[in-house]
Amino acid sequence: MKNIRNFSIIAHIDHGKSTLADRFIQYCGGLELREMSEQVLDSMDIEKERGITIKAQTAALTYKARDGQLYNLNLIDTPGHVDFSYEVSRSLSACEGALLVVDASQGVEAQTVANCYTAIDLGVEVVPVLNKIDLPAAEPERVCQEIEDIIGIEAVDAVRASAKSGIGIEDILETVVSKIPAPKGDPDGPLKALIIDSWFDNYVGVVMLVRIVDGSLRPKDKIRFMATGAEHLCEQVGVFTPKSVQRDALSAGEVGFVIAGIKELKSAKVGDTITLAANPAAAALPGFKEVKSQVFAGLYPVESHDYDALRDALEKLQLNDASLRFEPEVSQALGFGFRCGFLGLLHLEIVQERLEREFDMDLITTAPTVVYQLVMKDGEVVEVENPSKLPDPSKYDEIREPIITAHILVPQDYVGAVMTLCNQKRGVQRNMQYMGRQVMLTYDMPMNEVVMDFFDKLKSTSRGYASLDYEFKEFQAADLVKLDILVNGEKVDALSLIVHRQSAQYRGRELAAKMRELIPRQMFDIAVQAAIGSHIIARETIKALRKNVLAKCYGGDITRKKKLLEKQKAGKKRMKQVGNVEIPQAAFLAILQVGDK
Amino acid sequence: MIQPPVHTVSLAGLGSGLTQLPPLSLYLHFPWCVRKCPYCDFNSHEARNGFDEAGYVDALLADLEQALPAVWGRPVTTIFMGGGTPSLFSPAAMDRLLAGIRARIRLHPDAEITMEANPGTFEFEKFRGFREAGINRLSIGVQSFAPHHLRALGRIHDGNEARRAIEIALTHFDNVNVDLMYALPGQTLAEALDDVSVALGMGVTHLSAYHLTIEPNTLFAVRTPANLPDDDLSADMQEALEACLAEAGFEHYETSAFARPGHRARHNLNYWTFGDYLGLGAGAHGKISAHDGIVREMREKQPAAYLAGIAAGSAIQSRHKVGRKDLPFEFMMNALRLTEGVPLALFTERTGLPPSVLQAPLQRAEQAGLIEPHPTMLRPTLAGQRFLNDLLTLFLNEGD
Repeated sequence: MKNIRNFSIIAHIDHGKSTLADRFIQYCGGLELREMSEQVLDSMDIEKERGITIKAQTAALTYKARDGQLYNLNLIDTPGHVDFSYEVSRSLSACEGALLVVDASQGVEAQTVANCYTAIDLGVEVVPVLNKIDLPAAEPERVCQEIEDIIGIEAVDAVRASAKSGIGIEDILETVVSKIPAPKGDPDGPLKALIIDSWFDNYVGVVMLVRIVDGSLRPKDKIRFMATGAEHLCEQVGVFTPKSVQRDALSAGEVGFVIAGIKELKSAKVGDTITLAANPAAAALPGFKEVKSQVFAGLYPVESHDYDALRDALEKLQLNDASLRFEPEVSQALGFGFRCGFLGLLHLEIVQERLEREFDMDLITTAPTVVYQLVMKDGEVVEVENPSKLPDPSKYDEIREPIITAHILVPQDYVGAVMTLCNQKRGVQRNMQYMGRQVMLTYDMPMNEVVMDFFDKLKSTSRGYASLDYEFKEFQAADLVKLDILVNGEKVDALSLIVHRQSAQYRGRELAAKMRELIPRQMFDIAVQAAIGSHIIARETIKALRKNVLAKCYGGDITRKKKLLEKQKAGKKRMKQVGNVEIPQAAFLAILQVGDK
Repeated sequence: MIQPPVHTVSLAGLGSGLTQLPPLSLYLHFPWCVRKCPYCDFNSHEARNGFDEAGYVDALLADLEQALPAVWGRPVTTIFMGGGTPSLFSPAAMDRLLAGIRARIRLHPDAEITMEANPGTFEFEKFRGFREAGINRLSIGVQSFAPHHLRALGRIHDGNEARRAIEIALTHFDNVNVDLMYALPGQTLAEALDDVSVALGMGVTHLSAYHLTIEPNTLFAVRTPANLPDDDLSADMQEALEACLAEAGFEHYETSAFARPGHRARHNLNYWTFGDYLGLGAGAHGKISAHDGIVREMREKQPAAYLAGIAAGSAIQSRHKVGRKDLPFEFMMNALRLTEGVPLALFTERTGLPPSVLQAPLQRAEQAGLIEPHPTMLRPTLAGQRFLNDLLTLFLNEGD
């Protein structure tokens, strides 16, 4: 056990975490050269394309250190985006140490700070590494200072490396061995294994990634889930190198997988403790906080007969993504669909993309929204996840919106611009702290404003330098109204929004104008109106198209012209018919393109 | 009013879908041009090193002989020589070709024989000869009379040549069509109307006014002119030129075709009433009905491949039977181009399908105001003419 090191990597997106992981795997011979593809731990196509990590992945590596001894290094890769921070804390709780990888040309980012604090809170040893040291813009001294200023850990002798060029890889591995403590635990005690993650595999059923804290686990052992009491027969144990490799046993201190013929993901709850039925542990390990959906959106099939296919697809996605929530919903405009809950905007985008790509679904996604609390006349508190479900204002006394506390780390040059942005988004400043050349701004902000386009705006006002981390704070009463959109006089429920009264006029006008751009001209005039209650606040007209006809058609043209019309027909299919108006997908998300005053 | 089909062959008694065969036309393709125009997506090839005129005429006649069994005994009512540029051929070659056709197939004494011609000096000197060879209708690809628009279209003639060509054509032919295009790069409404007025003033009997379409696989598709008129302006042009032509006594009988009374293009009407046509020459398309269905075929597109094919006994590159489910759409795609529509009975006569297969889409089309509610006619409304594509998509895959 003294030669085991469990560690993860904390880094901001693009700071080179996955590339560094690849280098470790290569260095320790986890994969043959021919098996190496870029960013091997990011196994989903979307992860590779977007360069982000969504699910935690692991690699068990064997490293011969300079002291001549062999060490088992278990690398647990973690996601780097704020939406997936719960996955980070799970991964970290399986580790004794974490490498803090900071881009030597960029410096520390808010997300990294947040994850670092999580690590420190969990008692994990944080070891700083400066990556991309070979870039001309690298400023190692400044970045070291920043790590010390902002995070407050010693960074003078941080390893300087370049994952891309392979500089300093061995030095990092040495530091892992020397600085990160070996796991503690009782190898002979009753089994206690923490489920860090679980996913569904089509061939073997549920696969659980576990950290053995005490005892050991072998195939044929009868295991018990301490939360539910359910018992299963352990079929296989092993580790990822990152290929899956079967082992005879997993023992205290190790991280590996367990397969026990489980058919449903919910029976293998992440955070639960596994023990042996024959020799059970007295108490379970502390688990994880249940994740709560933060952002909601309606997902509807473009073709109503694809409803069942969409439900199947969502169910399949949920097998591997326990944080995805969905329930059936009916919209007058869009028909049958699902109200889905997500961890954040990126999560929404990823789910949407996977549905379109892996399940070939044509989808209409409504604008993302948050949960509102209503205090009804009779004092009952009701939660509303869908703006169109907001009752008439006479039915409730108060409407409350979720407020988050946002931490924004930004270079001094952009502080003014970022503060202006936060004020526009109804933010209330709580703190402002100078940390070297960066400033940490703390704001309380309505989450409603953040889910719209805050992140994009923040990036553009700071030329990409500002970074954001946030957590839910509380529900707060606010003067909110429902903004409806009418197309040819008909209210389109899927386009309703809840907005602050102050910005309602402006948003309504801009949204109507945006819809005019996005809805293609059709055979008749189309009126787009924005309304608060029965009060129309904006109107735009989409002028009728004048003609749609092929100029020529003679003997030889049939096949080609037919293809052209088939294409036109297919294009229309991707639009949703609301009344007699065809509305393209993009129009349902038009609000995201509406700027601020 | 569309004339009831004459020259049809009765198949009654064969107990099949089609009870009689439709009229048969002959299309002859001439694949060479002096220069390929940037908007053109027809099968045309620049004749840099000239071409073998006599060899091609021989090939067309051999092609006809190879195709004869498929159209045995059926009279031909119209011939159309298109391209490419058929007027690059000599009157003598055309004379030999038409004589050869008459010798091999029964040509109706009244047959309309059209030839496409370029309005260049080289061509219009031959117009008289073409008339003497038996061609009785000339279709001149003028496109525009304005020099800057002709340049933008890559045309090799100028406005004066175009006027001269029409003048000469009218001295020899009773029936002359001029092709014009509108919505040209940088064109104004007044310029579009000017082109129409010039043609009308010269006394042409038929006028085709095409909205410039950017077709895939053309130079314009790759380098699309930046200053094309927008949808509203081009719609204004269409409406204005329609009004102008109506005032001059022209009937707007098809999407882009206008004619003085009695001068409609009979060859094209045969396409639009879903008649049969035998396509001879490189890249020519044909549609031939038989008692057991309708076959579409295409000849080899490259002139060299076509000539080699003919020499080897067949130049057919592809041939397929039109499926039942495609027939309603294919029929409508043609028939609904006609302003006056066609009798509902023609649908069954040409496709062998019962009118009931049209019921659902017709109902939707009527609801959308695209087709006239009429018990015996299939006729688009004005909206249906303007939004013909929307009307036609209702019939896509409706035959199953």
